[in-house]
Amino acid sequence: MVGYQLHSGFNTMQLQAQSLCVARSGKDVLSGVSFSVNAGEVYALLGGNGAGKSTTLLSVLGFLPIASGRIRISNKEVSCDIAAARQAISYLPESASLYEHLNANENLDYFLQLAGNATCQQAMSAALDQVSLAPEVRLKKLRTYSKGMRQKVAIALAILRDTDILLLDEPTSGLDPSAIDEFHHTVRELANKGKAILMVTHDVYGACQVADKIGLLHGGTLVGEFSATDNERINTETVHRAFSATAHTSKTTLATQGP
Amino acid sequence: MKNILLIAVDEWRYWLRSHVALSAMFIFFSLILITSILTTFRMDAENHLRTQQQDEAEEAFLAQPDRHPHRMVHYGHYLFRAPTPLAAFDPGLDPVTGQSIFLEGHRQNTVMFAESAASAEMGGLSWLNPAMVYQLFAPIVIILLGHGSIAREREAALIVPLLAMGISGRTLVAGKFLALLSFTLCLLIPLIGSCAVALSTGATTPAILSLAGVYGTYLTIWALLTLLASTLIKKRSNVLATMTAFWLGCSLVLPSAAVNIATDVKPIASKIESDMILHADLRKLGDGHNANDEAFKQLKSDLLKKYNVTRVEDLPVNFRGVVALESEQKLTTVLNRYAASRILAEAQQEDTIRGYGWLTPTLAITFASRSIAGTDLAHYHRFQAEAETIRFAFVQKLNRAHAAKLSYEDDISRNKNEASSRRARVDASNWQVLDEFQFQTADLSARLANAFSSIASLLAWLILSLAALFWRAARIKP
Repeated sequence: MVGYQLHSGFNTMQLQAQSLCVARSGKDVLSGVSFSVNAGEVYALLGGNGAGKSTTLLSVLGFLPIASGRIRISNKEVSCDIAAARQAISYLPESASLYEHLNANENLDYFLQLAGNATCQQAMSAALDQVSLAPEVRLKKLRTYSKGMRQKVAIALAILRDTDILLLDEPTSGLDPSAIDEFHHTVRELANKGKAILMVTHDVYGACQVADKIGLLHGGTLVGEFSATDNERINTETVHRAFSATAHTSKTTLATQGP
Repeated sequence: MKNILLIAVDEWRYWLRSHVALSAMFIFFSLILITSILTTFRMDAENHLRTQQQDEAEEAFLAQPDRHPHRMVHYGHYLFRAPTPLAAFDPGLDPVTGQSIFLEGHRQNTVMFAESAASAEMGGLSWLNPAMVYQLFAPIVIILLGHGSIAREREAALIVPLLAMGISGRTLVAGKFLALLSFTLCLLIPLIGSCAVALSTGATTPAILSLAGVYGTYLTIWALLTLLASTLIKKRSNVLATMTAFWLGCSLVLPSAAVNIATDVKPIASKIESDMILHADLRKLGDGHNANDEAFKQLKSDLLKKYNVTRVEDLPVNFRGVVALESEQKLTTVLNRYAASRILAEAQQEDTIRGYGWLTPTLAITFASRSIAGTDLAHYHRFQAEAETIRFAFVQKLNRAHAAKLSYEDDISRNKNEASSRRARVDASNWQVLDEFQFQTADLSARLANAFSSIASLLAWLILSLAALFWRAARIKP
């Protein structure tokens, strides 16, 4: 694999997985996975169903025991202080899980209080403005929201929590194209503010559009890694070919390529 | 602690915004209000009625004219058991054990039931009372409210974000438990209100608090078990189905099975069966109405010897009265032996059923509640024992008057004519033999002692369910 120059101005390594091996129910799910996400960088872990994407996220959050290898957050081992590691992470699940009986403001207020980040109404409004959630829906219960609207509230929560690292689990799944564009825009904004963002997805086009690095995960192994340069984004065609190839081989060795 | 409070407050917010939760609460509070009012009125009316009937029975006895004392022995006297103050909350066994007893010479009558004031009561339509609402329906409300506590979060995929935010499983469960516990305490408000009304009829604050304590423990057990199921089972509908099945088992199936098993394991002879054996034994004692019965030959001989006379007519006491005294004494000894045997058998049968409280908290609370309210089997047995003491005392006082205040000659010739009949009467002042009777609830310490094993069962349930939830909460995973 060949490393590429990052195009953001940050270079502090926030999240690092080294030779990560994880087993679930006696079966190896991740085998020797290594990657790193720097501050200001969006890293997309791309893979099909059962590739080990969600397992990677759960391992980073300390929910799964690591058979071997290690995960470091801000140069500290996750296993040494899981609580501290979780404090540094905002996690957005695929379903943008929020409380349906609460409105957007109440959800933000409740989660922020739980996380120990109590904040004022103005800050919440500003965060919801930033994610373009229409003011007239903010006092409506979440059960009336579309997935895109929920995703916006979840992102607003991440903004307000102001953690160094964001983990996004299939964030664009089920969103319409305009909502995906809006979401990618917000993610880029967050990265430009220095957040290290790890997102797992099976959306090749979306990943190429937003990510600085793409790791191709297949059968629990990182089979390829692609990076953007200062001038050009990752080539969608190349990634798509590699992604398709993994569907036909159990383990493909792919040459890392530039755009 | 802050997060536990936050989670608890949010759970309340969810309940208040949920129509199902509000409906369940409304139905429960309506039910408890209606049953409390109806039972309080019914018990108040019964209390006045029985007290009035007791007074009337005493007045009627004391108002009897000069008579032959043995006629008064058979005239008899009624005792009424007024409901205990907390019977307005838990009538317990009162509706099935009777409230009055007719006391007379030579026999121990069974306790009778009052006539039904309304035909609907005969069909059992008035069976529902506040205690039953708490024992049977409050757990359903708790299940309805609590079954989704954790399962709802899991179904909405909220467990991972919460845990990822640093909220531990124990914090999450503690918050949900705090919410359910506070709701449980709210459920106790009508209980305390209902019992507080009983303060005016003699209930004591410690007794009310004890009752609230055991019901608080009982409902907390259901809250813990519901939460435990919610942490163990992933889908809300499955939690609800499981807890409903568990409730059915605890509230209906196991108690019925316990009664049937206890009846088989510790059978009690039927009244007809035991009466036949009893009467065979009593016949051996001789006929107390016949002074010449062979059974009293020794008594006659002893008396003649004692007073150094040769004929009963020369005795300084009425021999027939002495025979009545002796006969009643012997007969009562036999009756008491049978009564003690029956009471023991009933108590053993009840102990067997009570033992099933270790398997179902509903049985445990039923027994604990009755004992504290003073409406349990022990109180019923005490009523029987006190009634027998009074019966024996007044019959023997009349027999003593028979022996001491009526001559043997007048006694045996009482049926010759009107004049001899008049001579065979004693003064009505001799009827002042009744001890004033007012059935009192046992001291709270005695009631708590009766409830001890049931309270121990409840505490065991509480500790085990708390330990299981504590263990499970630490294992909540995405």
